[in-house]
Amino acid sequence: MLALQLLVNGVLLGGLYVLVAQSLNLIFGVMGVVNLAHGAVIALAGLFTYWFTAQTGASPLLAVPIAFVAAALAGAVGQRLLIEPVMRAGGSKSELLSLIVTFGLSYILIELALQLFGADFVSVPYLQSSWTLGSLAFGKALVVAGAFAAGMSALLYLWLNHTMSGKALLAASQSPTGAICCGIDVARVRVTAFAIGVGLAAAAGALVIVIMPVAPQTAADLNLLAFVIIALGGLGDYVGVAIAAVLLGIAQSVAGYYLGGNAEYVLPYVLLLAVMVALPGRFRRVR
Amino acid sequence: MTSSRLALTFRGAVRLAAPLLGGLAMLAGGAGAARAAKPIVIGTTISETGPLATDASYQLKGIQLGIAEVNAHGGWLGRKLVLKYYDDKSSPGAAVRLYQRLITLDKVNLLLGPYSSLVTIAIAPLINKYHMATLEPGASVPDIYEKGNKWNLMNTADSTTYLHQLLPLAKASGAKSVALLGLESAYSLACYHARVAQAKQLGLKIAYSTTYTLQTDFSSIALAIKNAKPDVVLECGYYPDSVNLVRSLHEQGFAPRFLGETVGPVEAAYLKALGPLSNRVYSNSGWWFNFKTPGNKAFIAAYEKMFHSLPDYHAAAGFTAIQVLGAAVTATHSLDQNKIRAWIVTHSVSTIQGKIHDNAYGHTIGAVQDMVQVQHGVLKLIRPAALAQAKPEIPYTGH
Repeated sequence: MLALQLLVNGVLLGGLYVLVAQSLNLIFGVMGVVNLAHGAVIALAGLFTYWFTAQTGASPLLAVPIAFVAAALAGAVGQRLLIEPVMRAGGSKSELLSLIVTFGLSYILIELALQLFGADFVSVPYLQSSWTLGSLAFGKALVVAGAFAAGMSALLYLWLNHTMSGKALLAASQSPTGAICCGIDVARVRVTAFAIGVGLAAAAGALVIVIMPVAPQTAADLNLLAFVIIALGGLGDYVGVAIAAVLLGIAQSVAGYYLGGNAEYVLPYVLLLAVMVALPGRFRRVR
Repeated sequence: MTSSRLALTFRGAVRLAAPLLGGLAMLAGGAGAARAAKPIVIGTTISETGPLATDASYQLKGIQLGIAEVNAHGGWLGRKLVLKYYDDKSSPGAAVRLYQRLITLDKVNLLLGPYSSLVTIAIAPLINKYHMATLEPGASVPDIYEKGNKWNLMNTADSTTYLHQLLPLAKASGAKSVALLGLESAYSLACYHARVAQAKQLGLKIAYSTTYTLQTDFSSIALAIKNAKPDVVLECGYYPDSVNLVRSLHEQGFAPRFLGETVGPVEAAYLKALGPLSNRVYSNSGWWFNFKTPGNKAFIAAYEKMFHSLPDYHAAAGFTAIQVLGAAVTATHSLDQNKIRAWIVTHSVSTIQGKIHDNAYGHTIGAVQDMVQVQHGVLKLIRPAALAQAKPEIPYTGH
C-alpha cells in the first residue's frame, strides 16, 4: 500500500509539473521563443487569483478563465509588438534574442506584481482535503490541477496534430518560408499560438496558488522547473513532457520518502545532467 | 490589498518628493536652514523580495516606526534620523554588495543588520572588516556572535530557544515520540539541532527526522511522518514551507497530537492561507501584545496607526534595535563605533521586548522565545505560564 501511495503522490506531483511546463513547451518547444517570462506570468496570475478570491469571495476556479483570456490578449499584443519583430530580425540568433527580450519582460512583470500585490507569499485555502480510496489519499487540489493539466496536454496534442491551424503552426515553426508559399498566414498563426501559450500559463497560475504559496519572486523557481521538465521530456513533444513530468514526480516522491527532502529537491537537476550527458539529442526542438 | 498598495504608492511619491521639497525649503530658508544639523543616517538591507520577504517586512516596519518615534521626539544628539535601506532579495550575495555600498559609498553613520541569520553570516566579515557596531534584530544563530564576529551585536532571542517549551509540554501530556524537520538555513538548522538534542534529553523517541531545502512538495515527507506515527511534529522553517507541510499532512490524512512550526504561524498570511487547518498549531514569539514592558502598549498603538495592521515579533525586534541603538548613542554622546559597541556589551536596556543585555561577544543573554498557539483563528500566548492568555488546547485536530 505504501508503494501505491508513493505512486499516487508522484503522479499528482507530476500533474502539477505538467501544468507548469506544458504551456512553455508550446512557446519554446514549438515556436522557438525562449520565454523567460513564463514563470512571471504564472506568478502574476496566481497573485491575481488570490486578489480576486479575496475581493469577491468566489471560487478560485472562476479566476481560471478570466486569467486565461486576459493573459491571452496581453500575450497576443506582446507577441505582435515585441516578440515577432525580434524573431524576424534575429535570423539564426532569434532564440537568443527572444531570451534576452523575455528576460527583460520577466523583470517588468515581476515588478508589476510587486507593485500590485506586494512581496508576501500568499495562498488560497481551497480544496485542502483529500479524496480517499481505501487507505489511499488523493489531494483534491492536486487532482484538480492534474486533471486540468491532462486535459490541456491532450487538447494541445490534438490541436497541433489533427487540426489545420495546429499543423499550420508546426509548419510555420519548421519553415516560415515554406509555410508562406503554402498560403499560411505565418504572422497570424504565431500570434494565436503565443496567445494560447501565455493564456495557458496564466490558467496554470490560477491553479498553482491553491497548491502552494506564491510570491512574485516565485517566478524564477517556476521557470527553472518548467525548463528542466521540457528538456527532460523533449522540446515540443507534448506526450514526452507529460510522461517525463509524471516520471519525475514519481522519482521525487520515492526519493523524498526514503532519502529525505534534500534528495527530493536535487533530483530533477541530477536527472537533467544525466540526460544531457547520455542523450544530448533530446535537446533539439521538434521540427 | 489594493488600497494599501495605493497608499504605499502615495507614500512612495511623498518619499520621492521630500528631498526636492527639502531642498527648496533650504534655499528659501537661507543660512538658518543651512546651519541645521545633518541627519544621522542609519543603513540596512531588508529582504523585500525572496522567500524571507513575509517575515522581513515586519522587521523593516518596526525599524521605520522606531525612527519615526525618535524623530517625533527630536532625534538623537539633536539630529534627526534617516533610514537608508536596500532590498537584498533574500540573497546573501546581494546583501554583501549592498552593505559594501552602505559603508563605503553611502557612508552611513550607523548600521543595522539584515533579516535572517543566513544573510547576516554573509555580511559578517564586512561588518568586522570596517568595525561597524551593527545591531542584529533578525539574526538569532548564537554562533555568529560567539565565534569571533565582535562587531555583530545580537538583539533578539537565539534560535536554539525557538519552540523550546513544546516538547516538555507534549511529554507532560503523554507524548512519547516526535518527528523533527529543519529547513537548510542557518537559524532553522540551529533550531532543529537544539530540538533533536532536547528530544533525546527528554527521552522522547525520534520517530522521523529530516532536513529539507526550500521546496514545494511535502507529500513524501508527510507520508513518511504519517507512517512513523509520531505524537509531535515540530518544524523549524519559514512561512512558505510551514504552509506546505500542514497542507501535505492534511492531504495524507495525518494529524499529530501536537503540531509546532517556527516563524510562519505568527504571520497573518499563515492563518489566511490555511484557514481551519491552522487551528491549534504552536509557534514561537520573542515578544507579545500583553508584555508588561515599558512602552509596549504605545508601540502597538503607534504601529497600528502607521501601518493599519498588527505587529509581530519581527516588528518588535526592529523597533527594539532602534531603542538599544538610541540608548547607546545618547549615553555615549557619540557616533563612534568603538564607544557604541563597548556601551552595548556592558549595559542592559529596557525595551518593549524586555531587558536586552549582550555579553562581551555581543550575544544577547537571557532572552528566550515564548510559545503561542492558534486558537480559533487567534494567536494566544500560552508560555510562559505567568503571562499566558490561554491554556494549551490539545490535541491538534487538523480541521
